[in-house]
Amino acid sequence: MSDPSAGDTDVAEETGTDAAAEAPEGTEAAEEVPRDEVREKQLAVFTEAFGDRVLDSHIVAGVDLWVRVDRADWVAAVELAKVKLGCTFFDFLSGIDWAPSPWGRYEDALEDAPRANGSSPSIPVNTGIPPVDPATVEQGFAGGATRFQVFARLINVKDGTSVVLKVDVPDDDLSVPTLTRLFAGANWHERECWEMFGFTFDGHPGLRHLYLPGGFEGHPLRKDFPLVARMVKPWPGIVDVEPMPATDDPEAAPDEETAAGDAVEAATEDQASTGEEGTQ
Amino acid sequence: MGLVESGKLPKSLTTLLNLSRRYSMWCYQWGLACCAIEMGAAFAGPRYDVMRLGVIPLPASPRQADLVVISGTVTDKMAVSIKRLYEQMPDPKYVISMGSCTNCGGPYWDSYSVTKGVDQIVPVDVYVPGCPPRPEALLEGIVLLQQKIRHEDPATRWRGDPIVVQ
Amino acid sequence: MSAVTDRQARAYIDAQAADMRVNVELETDEGMTLNLGPQHPATHGTLRVIAKLDGEQVVWADIVPGYMHRGYEKLCEVRTYPQVTTLINRIDWLGSFANEVPFILAAERLMDIEAPPRAKYIRTILFEMARIANIVLFLGDLGVQLGAVTPAFYAFRDREHVLDQIESVTGGRFHPNFDRIGGLKDDLPKGWIADTKAVMERMRTYCDEIEDLLFGNEIFEARTRGVGVIPADVALSYGLTGANVRASGVDWDLRRDTIVGLAHDEVDWRVWTHPDGDSFARCWVRLQETREATKIVDQLCDKIPSGPIMAKVPRIIKVPAGEAYVETENPLGAMGYYVVSKGDLGPFRVKIRSASFSNVSVLPWLLKGVYVPDIITILASLYFILGDIDR
Repeated sequence: MSDPSAGDTDVAEETGTDAAAEAPEGTEAAEEVPRDEVREKQLAVFTEAFGDRVLDSHIVAGVDLWVRVDRADWVAAVELAKVKLGCTFFDFLSGIDWAPSPWGRYEDALEDAPRANGSSPSIPVNTGIPPVDPATVEQGFAGGATRFQVFARLINVKDGTSVVLKVDVPDDDLSVPTLTRLFAGANWHERECWEMFGFTFDGHPGLRHLYLPGGFEGHPLRKDFPLVARMVKPWPGIVDVEPMPATDDPEAAPDEETAAGDAVEAATEDQASTGEEGTQ
Repeated sequence: MGLVESGKLPKSLTTLLNLSRRYSMWCYQWGLACCAIEMGAAFAGPRYDVMRLGVIPLPASPRQADLVVISGTVTDKMAVSIKRLYEQMPDPKYVISMGSCTNCGGPYWDSYSVTKGVDQIVPVDVYVPGCPPRPEALLEGIVLLQQKIRHEDPATRWRGDPIVVQ
Repeated sequence: MSAVTDRQARAYIDAQAADMRVNVELETDEGMTLNLGPQHPATHGTLRVIAKLDGEQVVWADIVPGYMHRGYEKLCEVRTYPQVTTLINRIDWLGSFANEVPFILAAERLMDIEAPPRAKYIRTILFEMARIANIVLFLGDLGVQLGAVTPAFYAFRDREHVLDQIESVTGGRFHPNFDRIGGLKDDLPKGWIADTKAVMERMRTYCDEIEDLLFGNEIFEARTRGVGVIPADVALSYGLTGANVRASGVDWDLRRDTIVGLAHDEVDWRVWTHPDGDSFARCWVRLQETREATKIVDQLCDKIPSGPIMAKVPRIIKVPAGEAYVETENPLGAMGYYVVSKGDLGPFRVKIRSASFSNVSVLPWLLKGVYVPDIITILASLYFILGDIDR
């Protein structure tokens, strides 16, 4: 069998679309956007009931429907989905923080992302939480106006259609009405969402810790919550050879004039030229 | 036995005590995560049968066990229970840390809720690396522990650490 | 010896013990509080059930998960796509291959890539084998939790055969990390198909043995029939999936009802449901599903097409911006990954919808009025894996 990712394409800026030898499922023509009548009818149910208050929507044909509503209409929209669209199955509810991570670095990146306040990430000092620049916040499907959003997915088990409902959560008032009166299963999802993001769910019977121990400080899934272990020590796998213990700086770059550094350079060049799998 | 506590133990008796202890270890049935399945395969599966080494995996209570194999990720929330259960075991007791999560945090080395290594909480005798280690690796860990017990001084072990009740 | 001093250790414990007391909120002195777990041989792992009893009946029950919470969603944000695949194997640690599949399918949907047919078939075979490995252990464990120890040994013995097959393809008994965006890592070794069919035959024999040992036993029937009945509408509102919801009469199986990227529509199989909704129904449905899975694997083995096992993917994978959610019928229920991508090396946000989380959320409602031994029966029949609840 052929080698999975034979390096005939050298470092790839190209994405999968032109690389796919197989046509994507659905229509062949790239110009014609396939229409999904079932989901368009479902969207019409929302626009009929809410009119302009359906802030945005998105349909991926044959796959899913996204609808964004205002916080005041959140419970009503979910009830509409449950009653009119037959979505009696509660899939999940969660939150999303659209701000880019100030600490971001992947384990294979050779450099740390610069921190928002300009300090070097290699020195673990308490720099505090950098403020979020609203211009950097970019939402996804069905848009958004705020950094935080709550989204829930409901499924109609009889015909398999589903809808993802999104709602904006303003930064100064992190609260959303609860769905527990409509779906009992929302209880645990909302508790987890509170714990991870800090959103309050008005009317929830008991918002308390689900996963984390009682004294835990902070809301982990927010982008500005640092993973402290990564600040103190970078991922050891990034270099093939650990730096010598005598080095003061634990994050010494591997290409200093050491035999170890030369070995690493040679190894990485070797990988690039023979087209070995970049993924492990 | 006064002989053991005072340390005046003849060599033959030491050998006998160590022999009887290492070939009849009662292992506490406690698994946390994925490594527990491999531990289960080692304990309950006829292929990797651990009883032939003398390790009896019957007790479900720490009060009747001398060995605990901590297999699986140790989270900060669970760490309290681990410490408490370890203290409930009577001396002499041994701990095998199985899997990379208990050795050092493993694949969750950067998580906010994982204790990076169970040796921060309880003293570990043998580390078995792997993710998850094969049952044979656990058996090798047990054999290593048995060799360690063979060369042990019962007097030091018998005294153990003082238990202070608060 | 440990580097932490005894005094530090005690201080740590005192600080955390307050948390354990806070979790138990008692308002009255009547009744007894029974604390099952987090260490308990019958809770499938580190789940804590706090039950307030009136005699032998449960008045109020609370579930405290989180003893295995490892922070997957946060960790996925700092890993590249191939590294996320390595990590997510360990969510449902018994049927490991099945965890990778929905994530890979979501990433492939975002990249608009389809795996070649051979890869699709092999993926489906391994997916079903993960189901068999998982449920086989469930059936063995079921006996242990109800007091019958023998089935566990049968389970571990026969599960080894399935693991052998998985190991000869992927290299790992579990946590195979075998799925790749665009296909699979390697092709099948020679003679694997014939061996697998022999193993599937063996699994069918195992299912018959378990049915003989457990399901016909009158003690088993007395302990499971009518215990823990979940009506269909309650099941749907709590988000129960998998055999749990099919045992309540809801005819819904993601393998048949959604189009994902696996080969289930190419073989002939049926969905098993049961009208009762009690513990017996859940166990029975799982037994039938295991048998059905062996038949699916047999049929797929006969029909594997030849061809490449990997589509053309760039070496460094950057997934285009977008959001995709793929949910598949995993051994424990419906597991899905909501992947939000911003065009980077790694995902921006991954929301993991794990089956056991929703399955276990029904327990506070379900355990009211139940007798103490039935708590164990209900926990056994609902079947969850702690890694799946806690992620």
